[in-house]
Formats: sequence, structure tokens, C-alpha cells
Amino acid sequence: MADGVRTVRRDHRFRLSVVMLGLVLAFVCAAPLIVGVYAASLLRDAMLFSLLALALDYLWGKTGVLSFGHATFFGAGAYGAAIVSTRLGLDPVVGSWLGLIAGIAAAAAIALIVGYFLVFGGVRGSYFTIVTLALAVIAEHVIVGWSEVTGGDAGLLGIPPLYFPTTDGMAPLSAEALYWFVVAVVCVVTALLYRGCKGRYGSILKAIEDNELRARALGHNTSLHLLMVFVGSAAIAALGGALYASSVGFVAKDIVGLVLSTQVIIWVAIGGRGTLIGPILATIFILWLEQEVSSIDVRLWPLFMGGLFILTVFVFPDGILGKAEQLIAGARRHGAPRHAPRKGRHDG
Amino acid sequence: MDVIISISLNALTLISILMLVGLGLAIIYGLMGVINLSHGDFITIGAFSLAVVQGFGGSFWLALIVAPVVGAGLGLAIEQSIIRFLYARPLATIMVTWGLSLIIQQSLQLTFGAAPQRVLSPITGSVELFGAPYPAYRIAMIAMAAALMIAAYLLIRRTRFGLDLRAAIQNPDMARALGIDTGRVYAIAFSLGTAVAAIAGVLLAPLTAVIAQMGINYLARSFFVVIVGGTGSVPGVVAGSAVVGGAETLFNYVIPATLSQALVLVLAIVLVRLRPSGLVRG
Repeated sequence: MADGVRTVRRDHRFRLSVVMLGLVLAFVCAAPLIVGVYAASLLRDAMLFSLLALALDYLWGKTGVLSFGHATFFGAGAYGAAIVSTRLGLDPVVGSWLGLIAGIAAAAAIALIVGYFLVFGGVRGSYFTIVTLALAVIAEHVIVGWSEVTGGDAGLLGIPPLYFPTTDGMAPLSAEALYWFVVAVVCVVTALLYRGCKGRYGSILKAIEDNELRARALGHNTSLHLLMVFVGSAAIAALGGALYASSVGFVAKDIVGLVLSTQVIIWVAIGGRGTLIGPILATIFILWLEQEVSSIDVRLWPLFMGGLFILTVFVFPDGILGKAEQLIAGARRHGAPRHAPRKGRHDG
Repeated sequence: MDVIISISLNALTLISILMLVGLGLAIIYGLMGVINLSHGDFITIGAFSLAVVQGFGGSFWLALIVAPVVGAGLGLAIEQSIIRFLYARPLATIMVTWGLSLIIQQSLQLTFGAAPQRVLSPITGSVELFGAPYPAYRIAMIAMAAALMIAAYLLIRRTRFGLDLRAAIQNPDMARALGIDTGRVYAIAFSLGTAVAAIAGVLLAPLTAVIAQMGINYLARSFFVVIVGGTGSVPGVVAGSAVVGGAETLFNYVIPATLSQALVLVLAIVLVRLRPSGLVRG
């Protein structure tokens, strides 16, 4: 009986979240028609950054390993795409797609080398976090120092957009179509990750997060799993970066390095780590908030960010949605004796 | 010959700076295990204390007393209000201290502006060393850094407080059972670490641009000084500084400064992987 009640409640919750998700998705898809093309292009960039949040959530949320340098992979994707498509003298039709592939490959290769070196060397926990922090600093130094290739402080301009086959041959997408393309990419990646982490594979990752030693004793090659998650996560981040480069048309050093690397941690933490959809919504919300706060005074935002970090740890350890759910559950339990005398069974 | 002397003196200067910034972190991170990402900003606070003291007409030596008091006070306030609740949650500590770092940096910039602060070196001129002239202040700083390292070593190894601290870290429950107030020991150790960082800020301020973001330059390097050297020991900080500072000075002669810093971090990561417990076993 108790199990039945719980199943009904979970079923109810599931239906509710599906309805909510449908509404959000409907709004996101209709956005260019409602808020105009310019605001939609900001939303598009936010969606691309949310791929970075999704990538970090795959790593941090699913395996508990926190990377403090994940913007490195976003930046590797963006700079890889930019360098291949502008510096090799390729036809933009080919170059744009080759750049996308090269960016993702570059990030995955970096993650494979760094990850193999660290994960199989037994570097875990806060050591891993500090080493990845150094990775972000290294990436920033390389971008600034290697200016013949990366453009240094000035960045790289004139990155061609992605070309798609149309009725009149290969052509870049219109602003609206590009927006929907990005929405579709984010949805597909989210769905794949959600589906992938649901079954047995998700349980293995959870086991590694809870107790890696025990998971290894049960016969799982935990280091290999962590390495694969790290590389996969880097590839997703790079996909976001490469699409960002081709959508915006230029890259600058602010998309690598510590600032973005730490901002994405806040997006994931506020959204609720491990939830996948939460970090995406939080990315869009916080980037919007950043714009609103910065329009009052640009110097206020770092103070806000600092406050958010502290607030997250003490008030929202499970993210804002988690906190809201907890509050609703608390309120329900509080009111329960009056409405439902058989409260004990609900909890059982 | 002159080149070798100037390279070694430059290396010694950088090693001293790294020892200074690493020492505070060796206490907070190495001994206590707290990943304090706002460590760099306590260096900044020290440097700004020097600018303020000199702005009011005070001397460099007065700032050397004021800065650790400011650093210790702020460190104690942060430890008591935030850090002490998070000793069992390392990832939460990382996030909170990063948040603090952003707040300290931006508050300093809002108060003092973005332009570099004016600081004066207490000793000017240069001295002849093995036939080559070298700035006198750098020599003085190397000597003060060495003195500070010795003092810290004696404090941790030879005093009652040092013993309490090592006991509280090795086995908190047993230490409490023996009558050590571990909470108090942690609070003192944390504020000691931030005070040392503030002293480091004063000492290196005349050699660098004093801006609100200056601490971030030292953050990653000071962590690697502590990790490479071996966490939790003063000799480890010396060893770590020697490796990181020596390598960086040598690379600087061959490749641009930003790339050499990147290369040093790569080297440090490799060293951490090959010798996870550091060069000096604590």
C-alpha cells in the first residue's frame, strides 16, 4: 500500500515535470517570434553556454568530480573551430564544419591526455579540482602568449557560420533558423545524457560517486569510467564552444580561463547538480540576471557572483529547484495530519 | 659569469616571493587541509595595507605590523563566520572561498579604484654582489623571507601551539580528549595563515603592480608550491618554491613570460602525478 502511494506520487511528479518541461520548451521555441531576433540571439548564446553547464553537470553531478577548469574545453572547441576555419584558407562551406569537428576533437584530445594522466594516477577529490584550476590558468596563458595563432588579447575575428544545404545550394542559416538549430542541439544532447544516465550506466556512475573503492571491488573499472565521462564531458563543452564561435563570429580570451570556469560551477550548483535540466535553466536565468545587474553598474556583478557562491553552499546545497521542492514537501508534511491522518504510510 | 649571477639572484628573488606566498597556504591548506581560494586576496590585502599606511604618511615598517593585524582580523572573522562550519565539506569550502575572493577583489576595486596603488620601497639603491650590482630591496626581501621561514618552522616544531596544532590535525578526537580546544587551535592557525599572507603582500608590493586582482597571479602557483613541496611542512615550502621558482626563472630566459608560467604549471602537474606526497615527506 505504502509503495503504491509513493508510486502514485512519483507518477504525479513525473507528469508535472513533463508538463513544465513542455511549457518551457514551447516558450523557448517561440522566443524569436515573441521577444524579437536580438533578444533571441542572446538566448541562443545562453543556450550554448548551457551546453558547458550540461557538460560540467555530467562530470560533477554524475560522478562527484569537480573540475575548476571546464571553460578550457569550451575554449578549446571555440578556438579550434576559429583557427581551423579562418587560418587554413579553407572554403567556408567546408571550413565551418571542419572547424566544428576539429574543435571537438582538440578538446577531447586534451581531456584524454590530461584525464588519463590524472585519473589513472589516482588524482581525485580536491587535488583534481586544484589541478583543473591550473589547467584553466594554463589555457589562459597559452591563449595570451601564443598570439600568432590565437590572436592573443585581441582574439580572432571573421569565423564563418555553419553552412547548410538549401534550395539554392549551401548557405548559412537565418537568425531564427540558427536559433532553432541551437535549441535542437541542446535538446538532443540533454535527452541523450538523460537517457544514458538513467539505467545501469547511471547506477555505475552513482556507485563511483558514493564509494569508488567499493565500486571497483564490485568489478567496475572505475578509472576508465571516470576518464570516459571526463572526455565525453569535454566534448560536449567543446560542442558548445565551437557552435558559439561559428554563431557569434569571433572568439576572445574571456571564453577560456578561470572566470568562465567558475561561473559554470555556479550555474550547475544553482540549477541543482545531477539534474541536467536544472543547470540549463540556471544558466539562462543567471546570464539574464547578470545582464540586468550589469545594466545598473557593471562593477556590481562580481559581488553578486561572490554572494551566490556563499549562498549556494549554505542555503541551496541542492540547487534552487531542490530547495523549492524541499520547502513544498516540508509544507505538505506540516499540513498532513489534518488532511491525511494516515501520514505514517506516506513516509514508509 | 655576470649572467649566471644575475640569473641566480633573480631565481632567488622569485623563490623568496613564492616561499612568502606559499607559507600562509602551507598552514591553511597544507596543515589544516582547507582549500582556501581566497588566499591570493589576503596577499592583496597586505599590499593594500602598505599603500594605505604609506598614504597616511606611515613607514614601510609600520605597514609590516599593521598588515598582519588586518590579515589576521579578517581571517579570524571569516573562519568564525563561515569556514568552521565547512571543515568536513572540502568542495563547499572551495566554492565559498572562491566567492569570498570575488567579493574581496571587487570591494577593494570599488573602494580604491582600478589604477595601481602607489607604494614606496623602504630601501633604494643597489649593492655590489660578486661584482654585479643588484637592487638592495630584493636582497633585503630574500633575507626577510628566509627569517620568516625559520620563525614559522620554529613555531610549528618547537612551541606548545605548534604541538597542539599538529595534534589537532593528526587526530582531532584524541586531541580533544587530551584537553586541546581544537576549534580554538583551528581559528588561530587560520588567522595565522592569513596574517602571513598579508606580510607576504607587504614584502612583494614594491616589486609588482598593486591592484585588486594581483592575488590571482599567485593563487595557482602558491597551491603548487605547497603540493609539489609536500603538504604541511615548512621545508616542503622551501623545496616547492625552489622547483617552481627556479624552473620559471630559467624558462623566462628562453620563452615569453606567460608561456613560461604555463609551462611551470604543466611541470608542477607532472610532478604532482609522479610524487603525490611531495618532494619532502612531512
